[in-house]
Amino acid sequence: MSHILDKSSAFRQGVVIFVYLAVLTALEYFVAVTFQAVSILVMVAVIKAALILYYYMHIYKLNEESDAEAHSYSFKTGTNRLGLWLFLLSDSFVFAGLMATRVNLLGLTRPHLNQILGLAVTTVLLVSSFFMNRGETAMAHGDKKGFVTNVLITFVLGLGFLLGVVAVEWPLAAEEGLTASSGAAGAVFYMMTGMHAFHVLTGLIFLLVVLNNVRKDVYSAEQHWGVEAAAVYWHFVDLVWIFFYPALYLIGRLL
Amino acid sequence: MKKFLSTALMRGLFWQFVGTLLGAGLITGIRAALGLSVTDKFFFTEPAWVLGGFMGVLFFLGGNGSVSDWFKWARGIDTPEHHEERYSGWEKYFNVSLDHKVIGIQYIVTALLLISIGGLFALIFRTELAQSQLQFLTVDMKLFGQNGPQLYNTLMSLHGMIMIVSILLGIAGIINYVVPLMLGAQDMAFPRLNAFSYWVAVPAAVLLLMSLVLGGFGTGWTGYPPLSARAPVGVQMFFLGVFTAGWSSILGALNVLATVIRMRSKGMVAMRMPIFVWAAVATSIIALTATQLIGLSFQLVMFQRLFGMGFFDPAKGGNPVLFQHLFWFYSHPAVYVFVLPGLGVISELLPVFARKPLFGYRWVAMSSLGIALVGFVVWAHHMFTSGMNEYLRLPFMYSTLLVAIPTGVKFFSWVATLWKGKIVFPTPMLFVLGGIVVFLLGGLTGPPNATVSVDLHLHDTYFIVGHFHDTIFGGFVFPFFAALYYWFPKATGRRMNETLGKIHFWLMTPSFFVLTFGMMRIGLLGMRRRIVDYDPALGFDTTHLILTIAGYLIGLSVLIFIYNFFNSIKNGEIADGNVWNSRSPEWQVPSPMPTHNYDQPFEVVGEPYDYGLPGSKYVEFAAPAKSKHITKG
Repeated sequence: MSHILDKSSAFRQGVVIFVYLAVLTALEYFVAVTFQAVSILVMVAVIKAALILYYYMHIYKLNEESDAEAHSYSFKTGTNRLGLWLFLLSDSFVFAGLMATRVNLLGLTRPHLNQILGLAVTTVLLVSSFFMNRGETAMAHGDKKGFVTNVLITFVLGLGFLLGVVAVEWPLAAEEGLTASSGAAGAVFYMMTGMHAFHVLTGLIFLLVVLNNVRKDVYSAEQHWGVEAAAVYWHFVDLVWIFFYPALYLIGRLL
Repeated sequence: MKKFLSTALMRGLFWQFVGTLLGAGLITGIRAALGLSVTDKFFFTEPAWVLGGFMGVLFFLGGNGSVSDWFKWARGIDTPEHHEERYSGWEKYFNVSLDHKVIGIQYIVTALLLISIGGLFALIFRTELAQSQLQFLTVDMKLFGQNGPQLYNTLMSLHGMIMIVSILLGIAGIINYVVPLMLGAQDMAFPRLNAFSYWVAVPAAVLLLMSLVLGGFGTGWTGYPPLSARAPVGVQMFFLGVFTAGWSSILGALNVLATVIRMRSKGMVAMRMPIFVWAAVATSIIALTATQLIGLSFQLVMFQRLFGMGFFDPAKGGNPVLFQHLFWFYSHPAVYVFVLPGLGVISELLPVFARKPLFGYRWVAMSSLGIALVGFVVWAHHMFTSGMNEYLRLPFMYSTLLVAIPTGVKFFSWVATLWKGKIVFPTPMLFVLGGIVVFLLGGLTGPPNATVSVDLHLHDTYFIVGHFHDTIFGGFVFPFFAALYYWFPKATGRRMNETLGKIHFWLMTPSFFVLTFGMMRIGLLGMRRRIVDYDPALGFDTTHLILTIAGYLIGLSVLIFIYNFFNSIKNGEIADGNVWNSRSPEWQVPSPMPTHNYDQPFEVVGEPYDYGLPGSKYVEFAAPAKSKHITKG
């Protein structure tokens, strides 16, 4: 039970982690535009992923002892949590497969993409994760108003990311001649961003469902598995982008 | 009849039909508005068929009610953990049920149906092969837009994939029925997901069969591009079907893992779990993760066809060999998904009929995990002739040979368990022993194929066909039948006819040996696989004729089984007690099981396989509590 923090320190922890993530993203970008050390880029991505896994997705909760009574909410939440993580493990094999496709087909090259836009959508998604964390923390402390505010911000940012990729980045790339059928680079770019965008879309739907259920007063400080699930899923989508962003925008020389 | 038409199955199929038409109509409408062509050889255009097939699956699931509770939850409406069973008798099995025992039987019956269809396809092309030259699958004939040889290719490809899906459903059925009972759980961890996993496989099977009538595809079940990138629209239905069936497998595996981790009864520590549960865990680890890769590989080809994305098109900078890597990353471990539960059944049943402890329990448990984990790093042994980088050959050859070690552990355990046992030979035991021998043949013919120098000659010959039929029959088919004969009394309270069971065994086993030995013989002499005709000068006509006869005999034996299976449900000899004198918890209570399994929880107090040790006990049931109602969750 040592992991349960009081509300203000939980918020503070969220801010600190966000600052770490922001600094690491800036470092990533700097390394990419200056001396292109792939090993450093991979390392930075792994560190960012570890921070998110631990502090935002609370992977340690898998280890938590739950109530032994088989019909209790806490026992069922423990089982649900395990189920969700198993699903994420399975899902990550799709993304790993796409990553392998990218490495196999493009190697140490990358398509020409709008760098500013890439950094912007990455930042937006990272900030959305920060607010999602605040929303979940608020709910865990029974603050429903705080929850709604933060999750609404998350939703708007998530929508911003989705539109940024699908409605802005895709047409821009197509204008530059990078279309789905133009070649391996185009195929990889649209497939990776498309598969990720599909997951963002489902995450957004999940957020809407949770918001609606909060309006119906389904959750409480003690019982809010739906909120936790939506949050973990949202952070997972962010986690995937942490690897996809450098793979598409930063690593390798321009084609 | 009216009752049957209103079952969840028929409602689902109706809505799948509607969904397919709607999806296809939508694309056709859009194409018409854009001034593109609206019809093609098979009425709708390819994008229309793809969206139609996809929406058909969604409509099936929405229409038959297997997702309705989730939609209620999403709207904030709570539902009881278990619904009261609304149907009884046969209707229960055609409607959505959350009971793991009902779902297990649904899986098994669907698997038997698909095995029959896949077997029928095999007999059709086997008949054509009985003689050299083309007899009835001729170039002049036309069916479903295909001529004879093309139809041969489609049937051969579908035989492979339909059998694979039926195996996945078969193991899911056994695991679903048995694992919660062995653990002492009321149900699987996620009953709705369990029902979903079954029902999503039904539209998947329909999609696979649709591929036959939509022009078919000549790629084999592997669907390699560039051939699959140029095949008729049927290949898209094939891709969609496999993709959908994959979800059944993934979600089922997730459920098994969560159930085993969370729902074990008191005292059942890891090293006291029944050995079949270990096998189910090992199989589920692979199915949960690797299955995504076959879905992805087929999805990429699908998109290559639809949007011109050049993943596997060398002209666009793509790489066809990449497909083979992605595909085999699942499709090799998949064979361990097929055989691990079967090997688990063998280890589970052998001590019961040898009346001796299972030799080396820990080693057997760990060998299942070992096979599963090594299985992740052997995939490229299917690609020694593909033109992949040569430096990859050696590591993949050695990792493949490594699989022989954990598999060998199992064999030594079985032999040592049998040694000096008081062996009895009812039908399930016959199939267990048959499985061991056949799997041994499959195992012994494996290492030659794994060795690069030999594989370069054996690749794509009938030797490979013989080899994998040995592994699949020994690792799945024989144990599957053993499991059905063994647990049939648990499910129905009656046992299957012993005489028919023995006829089934003694007809199937020799025929099967003839079949695979014959395949390997002509394979070594140079018979290519996946080919409709062969040169009479090769002198294979006699062997092929014998193979065909053996194939028909196997078909006949399976028909006898199916008759026995359905006949015994009503007319079998009553057997509601511990028929096999087993120590496993599910046999300590009367058959058939009530809806919520055990009335009293049990505690594990000893080792699972101490057969023949006087005074030893595996489980102890709590004393029946008086007037204590089981609280509803």
